[in-house]
Amino acid sequence: MSHKESHIREPLILGDKSYHDITVDIARPIETKANKWWWLLFGLSLTLFLWGIGCILYTIGKGIGVWGLNKTVGWAWDITNFVWWIGIGHAGTAISAVLLLFRQKWRMAINRSAEAMTIFAVFQAGLFPLIHMGRVWVGYFVFPIPNNFGSLWVNFNSPLLWDVFAISTYLTVSIVFWYLGLIPDFAMLRDRINKNVKPFTQKIYSLLSFGWSGGAKDWQRFESVSLILAGLATPLVFSVHSIVSTDFATAVLPGWHTTIFPPYFVLGALFSGFAMVSTLLLVMRKVLNLEAYVTVKHIEYMNIIIILTGSLVGVAYITELFMAWYSGVEFEQYAFLNRATGPYWWSYAGMMTCNVITPQIFWIKKIRTNLAATFVITIFVNIGMWFERFVIIVTSLHRDFLPSSWTMYVPTFVEVGIFLGTVGFFFVLFLLYSRTFPVIAQAELKSILKSSGEKYKK
Amino acid sequence: MKKKYWKSIEQTKNNNLELHKEFADKIPIEKIIDNKNNFTASRRDFLKLVGFSTVAATITSCETPITESVPYLVKPEEITPGNANYYATTFDDGYDFASVLIKTREGRPIKIDPNYEARSLYDANSRIQSSLLSLYDSYRLKSPVNQKSKELNISLEDYFRNLNFDLSSNKKTVFLTSSFTSPSLNNIIKDLKLKYPNFEIIFYDPISYSGLLDSYDEMFGVRALPNYRFEKADFIISIGADFLGEWLNFDHSEGYASKRDPDNKMSQHIHFESNMSLSGSNADKRYIIKPSEKVSVLTNLYNIIAKSFGEKQINSQSCKYDAEIKLLAAKLIRSKGKSIVLIDSSDKNLQNLCFKLNMLLGNINKTINIAEPLFIKKGDDNKFNILLNEMLEGKVESLIINDVNLFYNFYDQNKLKKSFKKVNVITQLTLKENETSPFVNYIIPKNHFLESWGDSNPKNGMYTLRQPVINPLFDSIQVEDFLLKLLGNSKNYKDYLKSFWKKSILQSTTNWNQVLHDGFYFSKQKLIINIKNNLDINYTSKNIWLNHSDGGLELLLFANHLGDGKMANIPWLQELPDPINRTCWDNYLCISKNLADNLGLKNKISADGQLDGDIVTIKSGKLELSNIPVFIQPGHSDDTVSLSFGYGRTKSGKSGDNVGVNAFIFYKNFISEYSGIEIIKQETSPHKFASVQLAHTMMGRDIVKEATLKEYKKDKFAGNHPENLHTPEGMKHVENISLWKQHDYNDGHLWNLAIDLNKCTGCGACVTACHIENNVPVVGKSEIRKHRDMHWLRIDRYYSSDMTMEKAESLNEDDNPNNDIGLVKKYKLMEEPSQNPEVVFQPVMCQHCNNAPCETVCPVAATSHSKEGLNHMAYNRCVGTRYCANNCPYKVRRFNWFNYKDNDDFDFNMNDDLGKLVLNPDVTVRARGVMEKCSFCIQNIQKAKLDAKKENRKVKDGDVKIACENACTTGAMVFGDVNDKSSKVHKEKQHERSYNLLASVGTRPNVFYKTKIRNKKDVS
Repeated sequence: MSHKESHIREPLILGDKSYHDITVDIARPIETKANKWWWLLFGLSLTLFLWGIGCILYTIGKGIGVWGLNKTVGWAWDITNFVWWIGIGHAGTAISAVLLLFRQKWRMAINRSAEAMTIFAVFQAGLFPLIHMGRVWVGYFVFPIPNNFGSLWVNFNSPLLWDVFAISTYLTVSIVFWYLGLIPDFAMLRDRINKNVKPFTQKIYSLLSFGWSGGAKDWQRFESVSLILAGLATPLVFSVHSIVSTDFATAVLPGWHTTIFPPYFVLGALFSGFAMVSTLLLVMRKVLNLEAYVTVKHIEYMNIIIILTGSLVGVAYITELFMAWYSGVEFEQYAFLNRATGPYWWSYAGMMTCNVITPQIFWIKKIRTNLAATFVITIFVNIGMWFERFVIIVTSLHRDFLPSSWTMYVPTFVEVGIFLGTVGFFFVLFLLYSRTFPVIAQAELKSILKSSGEKYKK
Repeated sequence: MKKKYWKSIEQTKNNNLELHKEFADKIPIEKIIDNKNNFTASRRDFLKLVGFSTVAATITSCETPITESVPYLVKPEEITPGNANYYATTFDDGYDFASVLIKTREGRPIKIDPNYEARSLYDANSRIQSSLLSLYDSYRLKSPVNQKSKELNISLEDYFRNLNFDLSSNKKTVFLTSSFTSPSLNNIIKDLKLKYPNFEIIFYDPISYSGLLDSYDEMFGVRALPNYRFEKADFIISIGADFLGEWLNFDHSEGYASKRDPDNKMSQHIHFESNMSLSGSNADKRYIIKPSEKVSVLTNLYNIIAKSFGEKQINSQSCKYDAEIKLLAAKLIRSKGKSIVLIDSSDKNLQNLCFKLNMLLGNINKTINIAEPLFIKKGDDNKFNILLNEMLEGKVESLIINDVNLFYNFYDQNKLKKSFKKVNVITQLTLKENETSPFVNYIIPKNHFLESWGDSNPKNGMYTLRQPVINPLFDSIQVEDFLLKLLGNSKNYKDYLKSFWKKSILQSTTNWNQVLHDGFYFSKQKLIINIKNNLDINYTSKNIWLNHSDGGLELLLFANHLGDGKMANIPWLQELPDPINRTCWDNYLCISKNLADNLGLKNKISADGQLDGDIVTIKSGKLELSNIPVFIQPGHSDDTVSLSFGYGRTKSGKSGDNVGVNAFIFYKNFISEYSGIEIIKQETSPHKFASVQLAHTMMGRDIVKEATLKEYKKDKFAGNHPENLHTPEGMKHVENISLWKQHDYNDGHLWNLAIDLNKCTGCGACVTACHIENNVPVVGKSEIRKHRDMHWLRIDRYYSSDMTMEKAESLNEDDNPNNDIGLVKKYKLMEEPSQNPEVVFQPVMCQHCNNAPCETVCPVAATSHSKEGLNHMAYNRCVGTRYCANNCPYKVRRFNWFNYKDNDDFDFNMNDDLGKLVLNPDVTVRARGVMEKCSFCIQNIQKAKLDAKKENRKVKDGDVKIACENACTTGAMVFGDVNDKSSKVHKEKQHERSYNLLASVGTRPNVFYKTKIRNKKDVS
């Protein structure tokens, strides 16, 4: 991964860093003790997580009835959260695989954490299809495993089954890809830790690094596998959310039955994924003193992607409205009118404001290079994307074909608790990760260090 | 042609019946064992026997032990486990009457169906069907109670041994009872009266028809109820009489529906009423009046007709519908002898006038069958009032109360308490303790009707029998036996009944067993009728206006499906939504939108999407009733409020207590109409309703297709033009557009259900039948409020709206831009029902789509299509993703949000050992977390198929009766095999009026509807 230095491009690593400085900077969070902020955040996340577990156990103990669902609205927060988390888990692979193929070097500072986020988000996402089942204990029915129930097979027509495959494939590939990148960095940690002081830690890192020697052959293989996996993972970036969207697109319900859904969902997912990566990195670079690596430039790049995807999502929203009008189907027309002006108008308004209007502020360079503004807007985007899924699911369901079955839906504390629990779980994992894993792919990063050239120029 | 493999040489011979036998020949064990002495079994036979017994012994010992199952020691002759037995019997509780068929399984009654063979009076409405559960009510009294000595369990023998009252004393012994028509019981009472001259019988109807009975007595010489023949009436005018609902409690719907066929001289139905009743909502034209205006409507109608017949006029007042009445009167005269005019009033004179009017119109003996009047109500208000006074004066030694719950349904409780204190001994015969029980000395448990013998004479010439289908569950006695014991007759009632029938009712040639089997008997008995032609018009004229007042706000009391509240503890009934309001577990003050606005009363949709209503107190003089929630009812009179009976019980059991308010408090002097009512808003937090439907209009969608008779006459496809869509190949009918390969139904059955929206009155009997047949759980008020009703079959009700798609379009397209209404406003306005809306009912159950949206989305294939067009649901495969329910355009799938059985949170019959006995053993009780829905009563389909197979024949049309269809006496539902070209349902399917619900979605349902046609001739 040779690096040709351009004089026009701004450096991606700030400060006068040497190779050793990078090593030290990246290893620091792992080698030092956690500060009280970390503990505070961890404590909070753990509490939420445990509360969420309590709510899940309560649901499984009593029945789905403890949620706010009814005969007409059979999915609400559960599937909203599922799609939201899956969406968030989209940026990681996009950053590490798609950007790798496009040789975007700026991805190197962020891909590790983005992918970690992906994996942790997919964990959260995977939880919802499981617990939303009325009978979790027979959840294994959805796997095409040989059985004795008269040799019952799964229904390959069902998008829910496609979800099972899509998500498990995505998760597997993401983990493998992530882990592969981690190997040289684990080896770095293995070599830095004093075997006599921390024999156990050293042992673990040495196991994790798979006997990485740093030799030329290792690097050659590493790069080839990375490229192959990137090639494999790239279609997955598009397939996962496309398939998730078919949960809705293949249904007959007005507001769900839409051919635009696969690209619309993928864009939305990238949109929310990048927003979440921004949110997390903005905090991480501050807390872990990584300002030199995750620079304003990185943030700006991501903001540009956010403008792009946000605008495309906006186009999709408007296309939906147009199609509803153009189709001449009264059910469809009412479904969209009801979204915008019915009892859940506020969620539609929230979605439109957060997803379409707010990201447009990023056209102003001052804003998109302002970290505080970015932080606020990315939070907005995350909220907006949650609303988008809520709008699609609940407003389509609550008033469908026959007015006699129209109902409303309100969540109960249990559903809210489970959602907060997954947020807690996500942060528990991310916080643990930030203290035990090299949060930046330092081996790769070193390849874009301009140090030699710059020094020469001085 | 399928490929066939022969199993043996014999099989190639087609006529070998042996091979089609379902079971192999029995091993002749008995023969072998019987011939002990010449046991000639060969070695091979011996080995066969040894092998068989070893295997049999092993298999039986391997079986999982079944808990709590008691095998028959001696198998009763008539019971084969797994097979249902049916018994014809009679339901007659003084409020409802029907000749019914009881389905029993392994000795327990599990269903009450109409006894169609009786040919009349067989309509088992929701209440009658639900009465089954009162048999298994754990609140039933288990043994007699002596309240005087605080002995909780005495035996009946004790009671009779120490009979604490003297039948032969100078003071009266009164038998106060609900109405009955039993000839044998009458005979017992006659004997009692002969033996004890001071014995007296008083009939008491909680909801009284005394005025009508007295009027009939005066006009026709018999104290009975008129027997209307709606099947012969072309023109019906009802003034406040909800004859399709609760009026007379005798269901007229079958006759009525038979005249609602637009192909065959369809009748026209005009309705004047104040509240929105079932009949009013079925009417072709409905006029809103105040209850007090009934008099002027009838008198005006009378005067016009009387004039044309040269009869004397009556005093009348003008009313707001004078012009319409003129027109209606002219129509009445035109349809002489083919019309019915009815009025609901407790005023004898007004009823007299109504009969007189029918006489003038020549309806007597035509549409009113005076030869066969109905005897099902006997209550006499005057006699009851006299009794109360006699009790107060201490003239009554002893009171025997049968099935009357005065402390719930008599308005003046203070007077009751005082008079009860003056009676020496009060004995109450009742199924279970009720509001009256604390005030009596002895409570004697009464047999349930399913445990009793009995007979009835519901109308002249018709006799029915009641037979027990189960032994009494508790130490109870039936009324007739009780009275026989009082009489000192040692005979038991069963023998008494039999000998009485043989002596007095049956002809000598008639077989008692056959009559018992049929459940009914028709005799050619003549009734002496004196038609009074010369009604004193002056007298009538004076009297109908005598007590007339129309000041201020009026109150109307009416009955809904809970009737008189006797069965309030049956959760099935409580959970059955009111057909009009679609609200359950409540009664409420129905009030119009305008009146509510004037009084500042509100109905609000709360954040959770349910209805909240303000709470009021109503007052009239000294009478006062508070904590009544207000329900805004479209089509309600602006000057009237209405409240239903049957609620507000305090001692009925866990399900019925404290549900709603007791309207009987206002039923002063048995008059259900009041004027000068005061409504005071209570400043409390609003009442939480449990409604199953809150969107009231069809929003301009083609859900219930409608047309007028005129349009239909012109074009058979009126309102039901085929739905075509644009495709690349040009316009195509929705039926011909599909992505899917169609199922092959060329051989075998294809089950279809036809629902005629013109015949459906919306009564709800099918909903209850489905509920009982399919073990559908009751979920209670709070869950209904969360929109989690479990009914597999629901009856949607839609009101018409002033705003329609067409109207909005024309408003937007006219030249005046001020008229324009936007898209948003259009839909907002379409949500609002009209002031006096037209109402449609539509039963909706699983549509068994051939392209079922639910089937494709289930990840585990728990719901899949059958070869016979049914959409199956495999409960034990279901993982509960609810995707199928989301994707169902009809929203008929029901999810088990909780465990509804053995769960204290759902303390209804499925959480009760006794209550569980009512469950249908052929239908799985669903577990938590699975989806369920209508199965087209697949258990009945299988039964019919197996029966046909055993008899080596094809399934005939009519072999399969599904629960809803069977309960529907109007014939609105027809189920059958459309592959059978001779079947009724096949014919229905070809009809121009038939259509699939939401056909444009492309689901191709196996349920189809028939367009609703309204006869608006001259009245639109």
